[in-house]
Amino acid sequence: MSEPQAGAGTASTPADAAGDDLVRVENMVKYFPVRTGGLVRRTVGHVQAVDDVSLSIPRGKTLGLVGETGSGKSTLARCVAGLIPVTSGRVIFDGRDITNLSRGAMRPVRREVQMIFQDPYSSLNPRRRVGAIIGDPFAIHKTSTGGERKRQVQELMERVGLNPEHYNRFPAEFSGGQRQRIGVARALALKPKLIICDEPVSALDVSIQAQVLNLLADLQRDYNLTYLFIAHDLEVVRHVSDSVAVMYLGRIGESGPRDPVYRSPRHPYTAALLSAAPAADPDTAAARQRIILTGDVPSPIDPPSGCRFHPRCPKAEAVCGQQEPPLEAKAGDVATHLTACHFPVRAGENLAVAGRSEPT
Amino acid sequence: MAILGFLVRRILTGIVVVWLVATGAFFLFFARPVDTVARQLAGHAATPQVINEVISNLGLNQPIMVQYWHFLDGLLHGNLGYSYYNQEAVTTMLKQDLPPTISLVIGGVILWLVVGLTVGIISATRARSLFDRTSSVAVLIGLSMPVFVIGELLILVVFVPSQQHGFTWIDTGYSGISEGFLKWMGHMILPWITLAAVQAAVYTRLMRGQLLDTMGEDYIRTARSKGLSERRVTFKHGVRSALTPVVSQLGVDIGQLLGGVVVVEQVFGLGGIGQVSVQAIDTDNLPVIIGFVIIAAIFVVVANIVVDLAYALLDPRVRIA
Amino acid sequence: MSITGIEAASQETAASEGALDADAAKIEGRSQWQLTWRRLRQDKVAIAALVVILVIVLLAILAPAFVSITHHPPNIAYPNTGEDAAGNPVGPGTNGFWLGTDGTGRDLFIRILYGARISLFVGFVTTAIGAVLGVIVGLMAGFFGGFIDTVLARFTDAVLAFPYVVLALALAVVLGPSLTVIIGVITFFSWAAIARIVRGQTLSIKEKEYIEAARSLGAGPFRIMIFDILPNLLAPVLVLATLYIPTAIVFEATLSYLGLGIQPPTASWGDILADAQNFFQTSWWYVVFPALALLITTLAFNLLGDGVRDAMDPRTERVLAAGRGRRKRRGKRQVLADGQSELAAHAAPYVPPAEGS
Repeated sequence: MSEPQAGAGTASTPADAAGDDLVRVENMVKYFPVRTGGLVRRTVGHVQAVDDVSLSIPRGKTLGLVGETGSGKSTLARCVAGLIPVTSGRVIFDGRDITNLSRGAMRPVRREVQMIFQDPYSSLNPRRRVGAIIGDPFAIHKTSTGGERKRQVQELMERVGLNPEHYNRFPAEFSGGQRQRIGVARALALKPKLIICDEPVSALDVSIQAQVLNLLADLQRDYNLTYLFIAHDLEVVRHVSDSVAVMYLGRIGESGPRDPVYRSPRHPYTAALLSAAPAADPDTAAARQRIILTGDVPSPIDPPSGCRFHPRCPKAEAVCGQQEPPLEAKAGDVATHLTACHFPVRAGENLAVAGRSEPT
Repeated sequence: MAILGFLVRRILTGIVVVWLVATGAFFLFFARPVDTVARQLAGHAATPQVINEVISNLGLNQPIMVQYWHFLDGLLHGNLGYSYYNQEAVTTMLKQDLPPTISLVIGGVILWLVVGLTVGIISATRARSLFDRTSSVAVLIGLSMPVFVIGELLILVVFVPSQQHGFTWIDTGYSGISEGFLKWMGHMILPWITLAAVQAAVYTRLMRGQLLDTMGEDYIRTARSKGLSERRVTFKHGVRSALTPVVSQLGVDIGQLLGGVVVVEQVFGLGGIGQVSVQAIDTDNLPVIIGFVIIAAIFVVVANIVVDLAYALLDPRVRIA
Repeated sequence: MSITGIEAASQETAASEGALDADAAKIEGRSQWQLTWRRLRQDKVAIAALVVILVIVLLAILAPAFVSITHHPPNIAYPNTGEDAAGNPVGPGTNGFWLGTDGTGRDLFIRILYGARISLFVGFVTTAIGAVLGVIVGLMAGFFGGFIDTVLARFTDAVLAFPYVVLALALAVVLGPSLTVIIGVITFFSWAAIARIVRGQTLSIKEKEYIEAARSLGAGPFRIMIFDILPNLLAPVLVLATLYIPTAIVFEATLSYLGLGIQPPTASWGDILADAQNFFQTSWWYVVFPALALLITTLAFNLLGDGVRDAMDPRTERVLAAGRGRRKRRGKRQVLADGQSELAAHAAPYVPPAEGS
């Protein structure tokens, strides 16, 4: 096991001894080639979905990964899960390098790395009964059969809050929240170590979201699970994460333990996201001034030079378009709170009055 | 200019396909034990002497590749061999038998397209009306009927009674245009209807379905709200985009058209290449059969190129192969 | 609104959900097949078609029984009782021939029954074989993609575009006309028709998230194909197969008519109709009855197939039912208000089909 390299910009949480990380992503790059159609297929460009991302998650902790659509977070998740091959970089799981393993070699790893998907309506096969769906992991890895499997499945159903008598029902007969619980049960079946949650509550009603999140928290406690939790809603992430990483256009803009990042975001993008989160108290909401970002999210095929955020950044200056800022701890921050910015937000600075915003 | 390149490519591919088909047919028929082939050609009652004659006359005991070479050579010179039955050059026979087939195909295709698309459009624009429901029933029946049954029923119900009542315009058999346009039509009218009936049903259903789907799209609503007359909306926008699947279907149907043609020719005694080749089966007349197979391949290839061209013209997204 | 703030509210919802659960617990999961059957039962036309088919099958199976009743085996000619003075067939009802006789004085009714045996046999067998092969090929092509797909898909297209007459001719020359030739030719095309559709379906199913979920669990390609994709394919394949049977039957009749298949004296509807051409002027029954038999059989299968298709996918039914004059019999499933034009209904917002489709 190697020591974390100094200045390598690895997002991590405080309790970070080398052997304590369950997952480590090192300099992951994932490009999708863009080919012209027709008879002759030439590669004319690349979608730079993930561009040199490194992070790590200690055992039993949760890393929240936040970003807009197109930021590359889902791609990153699938690379970690081994569903998509990585262009370059490494994924280290429990001390083993699992980057781009063959399907056969990956099989035992799959028992320990599971995934929960975003859409409760399409992540379950509508033609199969729920008992079969949850029992799939047991069948695939041949760990139990028949009556024993049924018993285990029903135990799981109970554990996630479903009625075990609904074993023979079809997914269509369940509500969205219940279907997501089915997904959780399926992921939990083989007692994995890591569960990658790809926006597990985004498609649910807010009231149901709370239930599912609480369930996930309970399970983490009971089974010492490690979560890579992906979302675009910052409030959800704040509730569940020990540490946070913010992605923009394939790169990590800011990362660190939850509280420092939320209390004092250093990256202008993080600050803008936080300012846009709805506030419960109407007075607070009225008094808050939102930071408005100009322009659209650029395309990942042709990302901006230097800092990828610079065309929309209220603090951008010439150097931002020329040099890519390194991911490092800024003055006054804890060592694990890293930011990639030439002009990070200073304490007390209000970007909303920088001349490019409007009060709400 | 892209169209030209497209055309050239398709023609070249087409030539390759025809060559492949000719080769396939040749080997299929002639690459069998010499005795079998000779016996088949000489007839069942042939004595061993006759069989040997046949073998030497036709060079059947030469190595298969040599025979193949002769065959190809002949092909390139427009010579498809000679009918075993009456020594006529196959190419001569084909030339004689082509006009009925071409008359049938062109007339039939036009008829089914016109009827099918028109009924389909009207059904779609007057959905659920009496017209629509009647046409749907007719479509269902049309789809269920084999072509030869339609032909026979037409003969029974139209030809026979009209002949018996002295109305002789409608006739079976074939008469060339050169012998009188009206007479030609009298011979062709029933075959056209027969060939077109089933296909018209298919296209009616296709057009109706496509048009209904298209008319529900947003851009149609936009056109209407711009104030365009319903007729203009239907034709300029709706039909045009509903046509592309129709053209695709046409491409597929062209290939299968030969089957229908053979049957119709048989029913009405038109004597086209379809009927002649089927008769050739009875007499084991291999050269005629091979000739037909090659002609069929050429026909299918050409028709497909035409259809693809039409497709490319209709749908700007599909300009390059 | 913070997550913690709504936890209290969420507990209420959980409680009420639980109560609903208790009620719903009594209903066992209804499979897609049960739902389809329920819908099909209400479609009077489709049920009528099903009954007709069953009757035809029964008649075909019982053909020998009819032979004992009429004492007219299918291939025996009766020149004395079965032909009139001029040597032409006699009409229905004469001399114990229920539907009359054919050109050589054989009992037409019996021959039609035996022809039914051939037609049904060919229809079912070629469709069954074609369906199995078609699913295998389509599934492989759609799932594996890449080179395998290109090869298989191109091959399928070539087969579909191939003029069947040419193939039938070729086989008839090489093998001699027979039932085998017919089954060979028809199966050759049936698998291609089914494979193409299956491939399309597989391609779209492959993109669904539950397939990705299966992969993330470690499922191998064959497991995914059999347990996850195949169950979603069964419905369209069943519809396709039911609708292909009449095509196969017509195919067989056409090939026999051309003399490329079943050889006389064996009775096949195509053969009968071929000979009937010589007797147009004198014996209308010789043409009409076999034609009717053929027509009723294919019509019944087509109607049944349409009914099954609509029973499986109510949305399609809504779109198509309008044009078939059967709306009045479908009161329960009528979703358009009366008086609305079909086109206006189509301009309505798109409603995605239920998961079960």
